[in-house]
Formats: sequence, C-alpha cells, structure tokens
Amino acid sequence: MRKIIITALTAVSAFFIIQSCSKSGSSPNGGGGDKGNSFDRKAMLTNWETNIILPAYTQYVSVTANLDAAVTAFNTAPDAAKLTALQTAFKSAYEQWQSASAFDFGPAETATFRANTNTFPTNVSQINNNIKDDVYNPNLLVNLSAKGFPAIDYLLFGVGADNTAVLAQYTTDALAANRKKNLAALSAELKTNAASILSAWNGAYKTTFLNADGTDVGSSTGQLVNQLIQDYENLKNQEIGIPAGIQSLGTTFPTKVQAYYSKESVKLALLHIAAVQNIYLGKSAVGDGLGLDDYLIKANATYTDGKPLNDAIKAQFTTSIAKLNVLTDPLSDNIKNNNAQVTAAYAELQKLTVLLKTDMTSKLGIAITFGDNDGD
Amino acid sequence: MKRTLTVFSLFSVVMLGAASCKNDKNPTPDTTPKYDVPTTYNFANVDFSESTTRLGMITEMQNIMKAATVAKGTALDVAKLKSMFTNTGSPFATAAYNTAGINLKDQTAPLFQTDFNRFVDSLNTGAASGKDAAKGVAGWGVSSTNASSKFLLTAAGVNYAQVFNKAIMGGLITYQIVNNYMSAGIAESVDNSTVVAGKGTAQEHNWDLAFGYWGVPIDFPTNKTGAKLWGSYSTQVDSGYKANKLLMDAFLKGRAAIHAKDTKTKQDQATIILQAFERLTAAAALQEVKEVKESISDDIQRNSRLSECYGFIYSLKYNPKRKITDAQIDALLALFPKNFYNLTLEDVNKIRDAVAAQYDFQAVKDIL
Repeated sequence: MRKIIITALTAVSAFFIIQSCSKSGSSPNGGGGDKGNSFDRKAMLTNWETNIILPAYTQYVSVTANLDAAVTAFNTAPDAAKLTALQTAFKSAYEQWQSASAFDFGPAETATFRANTNTFPTNVSQINNNIKDDVYNPNLLVNLSAKGFPAIDYLLFGVGADNTAVLAQYTTDALAANRKKNLAALSAELKTNAASILSAWNGAYKTTFLNADGTDVGSSTGQLVNQLIQDYENLKNQEIGIPAGIQSLGTTFPTKVQAYYSKESVKLALLHIAAVQNIYLGKSAVGDGLGLDDYLIKANATYTDGKPLNDAIKAQFTTSIAKLNVLTDPLSDNIKNNNAQVTAAYAELQKLTVLLKTDMTSKLGIAITFGDNDGD
Repeated sequence: MKRTLTVFSLFSVVMLGAASCKNDKNPTPDTTPKYDVPTTYNFANVDFSESTTRLGMITEMQNIMKAATVAKGTALDVAKLKSMFTNTGSPFATAAYNTAGINLKDQTAPLFQTDFNRFVDSLNTGAASGKDAAKGVAGWGVSSTNASSKFLLTAAGVNYAQVFNKAIMGGLITYQIVNNYMSAGIAESVDNSTVVAGKGTAQEHNWDLAFGYWGVPIDFPTNKTGAKLWGSYSTQVDSGYKANKLLMDAFLKGRAAIHAKDTKTKQDQATIILQAFERLTAAAALQEVKEVKESISDDIQRNSRLSECYGFIYSLKYNPKRKITDAQIDALLALFPKNFYNLTLEDVNKIRDAVAAQYDFQAVKDIL
C-alpha cells in the first residue's frame, strides 16, 4: 500500500517537474472531461484532406480554368452567345468556390487566398479606375476589392442593364479593349491562384497537414476549426447580416450582398452553409466519415441542457438552413421587400456561431485565434 | 503524521525540480533584506491619482477626435484639442481635470510636443475636406466590414487619431516611466525616509505614479477590468509576450523593495520595467500587423490599423532609454509605403519580419 502511494507521489512529482521545466505553451482552457483526447484526430484529418479538401480544390481548379477559357473565347470575338456561356462558367466557378473558401490556412493563408478570391462588396470605382488608367497591380491590397469573383460579377452582369448593354461595353464602348484586358487579368489570376494552392497541397503540405495532429494553435485541427468558424462568420455577417442592416441599426445595404449583380446570393449562401456542415460532419461523396461531430461525441460534450452538444449543433444547422431556404433571389430585393425574413435567418445563423465558436471550441480545447474585427 | 511527511517530501521534490531548471549562477551570499511581496498593488500610502487623471485627459482628447468621425464633414475641434493638451481654458468635461493643476504637455517628450500639433493638423485635413477618403483625397471613411467603424484619413491614408493614440503612449507614458519614474525618480538622492501620509516617500510615490500610468487595476492580471492604453495592450499581446505578469511582478517587487530600502532589487525591477516597455511597444506593433491582416481587404480599416502600427514604431523615438537606434527606427518606418493605399502584402510581411527580428519575436510574430 505504502509503495503504491510513494510511486504515485513520485509520478505526480515528476509530472510537476516536467511541467515546470517545459516552455509555457498555450494550454487548453480548463474544464472537465478529457476533451476527446482518445479521439483519432489523424483519421479525421485524413478524411478531411482526402475526401473533402483535395476534391474541393481539384474541382475548383477545373472550374476556374473553364472560366478563364470562356473569358479568352469571349474576348477574342465577343458576342451574345459567348457572353451567356461565360456567365454560366462564372456561376459554376463561384458556386464551387463556396466549397473551397473555408480552408484559408497553410498554402491558402500564405496566399491570402480567400481575400484575393472573394472580397465583396466590390469597389466599382476602383475597378473602373483600373480600366480607365489601364493599370492593374494584383499586389496592391486596395485591389482586393477590385478583383476576384465580385469584380468579375460586376464586369459580366453589372456594367449594363441587360446583356445587350453589357456586350456593348466589350464591343463598341471606348474602353472596351481595356475592359477586356482587365477581365482577362482577373480570370487568369483566379485560375493561377487555384492551381498554385492545389499544387502546394499535393506537394509537401499534404503530409504537413496530417502530421500536425495536436490541438494547439498551430495544429491542423486548430487551424481548420478557426478558419471554418471565421468562414462561417463571413457567411453570417458579409452574406446576410451586414446587407440586412444588422451592424447599422437597421439601415440596410442591399447592394452589399454576395453576387449582387448575378443575383444568386441565396443560392451561394445555401451552398456555402452546406459546405460548412459537411466539414463539420466529415461528410463527402464517399460517405459520412470522421468529423467534428464524432470528435464531440467522443469527448462526451454536452450542451447546457445536458443533452449532447453535437445534437444541438446538428439541429441548429437544420434550423439555419431552413430559414435560408425561405429567402429568395435576388436577395437584395428580399432585403428591400421583406427584411424581417432575412434578419430572422441571421438570428438563427448567430445561434450556430455561438454553438461552434464558444461551446464546441471550449469542449475540444481549441483556442480561437482570429480577432472579431469589430473595430476600435 | 505519515501523511504530512509524504506531502512534505512531495513538495521538496517539486521545489528541487523547479530549482534545477534555472541556469545555475555562482551562488552569492544573500544579503537582501527580508520582506514580503504582496500579490496585489495594495500597499500603504499609495496615490497615483495624477497618472489616472492624465490617462483620463487622454480619453477626453480621444473622444473629441472620435466626435469628428460621426459623419462626413463633421468639424474637428482643433482649438479644444490644443487647449486640452496644455489644460488651459477649462477644456475638459470632467471638471476636476480643469482644476487639477496638471497637464499632459509638461510630462511629454520634447519631440512629442512638436509632433502633437502636426498630428492634430493632419487629422483635421480629413475632417475639413468634407470628402470621402480615397487615395490622394483626405477625408472621412467607413470600414467596409463594420459600418460603425469610421475614421478620418489624410490623402496618404493615415489616421492621425490613431497615430496620436499610440504616440502619446510612447511620448507621455513610456517616456515618464523610463525617463523619470524608473530612473531619476527613484535615484538614491530622492527621499525614501519621509513618509507623506497617503502618498508614501518621494521614491515610493514616483514608483506608484509609474504603476498608475500602466493603466491596470491593483489586482491585475487576475482582474483586467478597466485596463487601458498600455494595460490594454499588455493584455492583447499576452499570448506571445507575457508582459502582464512580467510587469506586475516587477512593479510589486520593486515597490516592496523601496519600502524595505532594498536598493539592488529596486534597481533590478526598474530595469525590467523600462526594458519591458520597449519590447511591449514592439509587441503592440506586431499585434497591429496581425490586425492589418485581419482587415486586409477593408481599405479604410486596414489603413487605420496600419496607422496604429506606424504610431507604435514611431513612438520608440520618444524613449530615451531605447536599445533600438534612430537609424533602425527610420529603417522600420521606411518599410511603410509613402501612401498607405499603396500597401502590399509583401510590405506587411516585411514590417512584421523586421520588427520581430529587431526584438526577437520571430517565434511568436504571428500570434501576438
């Protein structure tokens, strides 16, 4: 008996000594439970990488290449048919982006991929200045709001009241040649960026991602969860909340929606939330693999009502999607005509934020490292 | 009995273990006077209300600057700002400040006193134009991601309200702490025997005024309520640079040392504090780099945050005890584009890397 006590004490002491010598790292915030430490995180990372991330990027590379090819075809001999084909290629690329935007860590973070691809509302005067002056420097951060899908959205759908008027901007307009050049530069940039991110993932980062299988700030789970939540907050705020006047005491900004000119904001938001949900569930074309749901179950995470946290999160995804489904495109009109529907959707999306950002991360011991961007 | 013994031996092992981690220096005979160091700044005879008043004056100046951002074309009360700086003509809303008999200007670095007018006049270009801020156009701008964040920017995209905020942290607070309270103010020639009721000895009082300037509650960092300026920033950067504990421990230990006439410990803690304020400035600049990246596509917000970063780096010039040279500060400032609207990601990363290298923050440069 005594031996046992001594051994136990020695073990405890040794633990303290190791603790006192180790560099102070970011220790997961306190709280009971083992935070699912026995969960096979590497298997979850493998599922994400193989079945979700790489397929999303691979598909994205293909659609941006199609878009760029459609721009080249249109620019060579602009006509109504090629404009329509180009608009279709644009829409499918923008739709696929919704499945690729969450992964803004690793190679994507280095390239500020998300900001380079989808900063909206786009800055029309900046775009027009770039066209007028015939200069476009992709490295200037002011051009983040004059490039990517939102800028092309404007160039293909917003420069005229209908397709005849849009086409004229590329044929008879005095700046037609400059405009074609700017459009070509923007679509080429999307294509090139997509290819370089995928090639980085197919290179060294493929194993880097799998090997960083802890939960600290630099771990793959830590980074993916942070980016997933940040991306989800962009959905909630940029795509829905800000246009609906959530931050401005009810003053609405209908033109600030995603895809304002091509008028498929709701469609994109639904694709976006479905992508977030699939990452959470670990769900892909090959089935329902390991995801954050399984991780929470393993950690025995409960919600304030004592029921499993995973159930609360899954239910809130369902409710949020149902509220988004009520909305209709063009969302800008929906905001003007029935903003209560939009703010109701926002309210449900906000509840999901709390579940993911506060409840889930604390149960899993994952630190949120991005700022709230709430100004100061 | 047996239990007590085992617990005791457990502690011995722990203590030995902890001690073995330290770099063993040559043991010197311990002649330090024995005294207790409390865990909160709860000493007898402490009064740092002068520092608190000056921090309050800064807040009122910030409020005047903020008032001009409410809407495009709102006038900036330049005259009031300038009279607040010298506390003339009862400019403050808090009546007690007007009759306090102290002002901000007297305690600022000489260079700050000339910079101040330039900052205010530059800020005013954004208010006076009545235009929307844009590259080459001084004016008023709104964050694209947060409609409640509004700023006045110069034609070069600089928010001088933020440059002022950060510069006064260096040009007043850091300047007083490092140049006065942690040096001449606690020199052996300063009285440390006559206790003035409620204020302590002259040395104690100077130390307390320095603590008051840090802007934290007396039970910091357990309690962070109301931490402002440096107290807020030491908390913001705490994930990468543990300045909260470093500074609090040093302030507590040094104050106890002064009371116990322990000159060596006092000097050691003063050195820790004055060096920490320089590194803290660099850490705060890196924190702003991170915020610049978080608002990378928001031109107005990004320029304002870049102005904060610029202000912190520039403020190093006011620190007479700095290790960084003037040439090195100028080299860091030269990494900022002349016009903030011309910023590239490469510029941001260069600023980050140069500050991190200068202050040995490479390992934490992205998490500060």
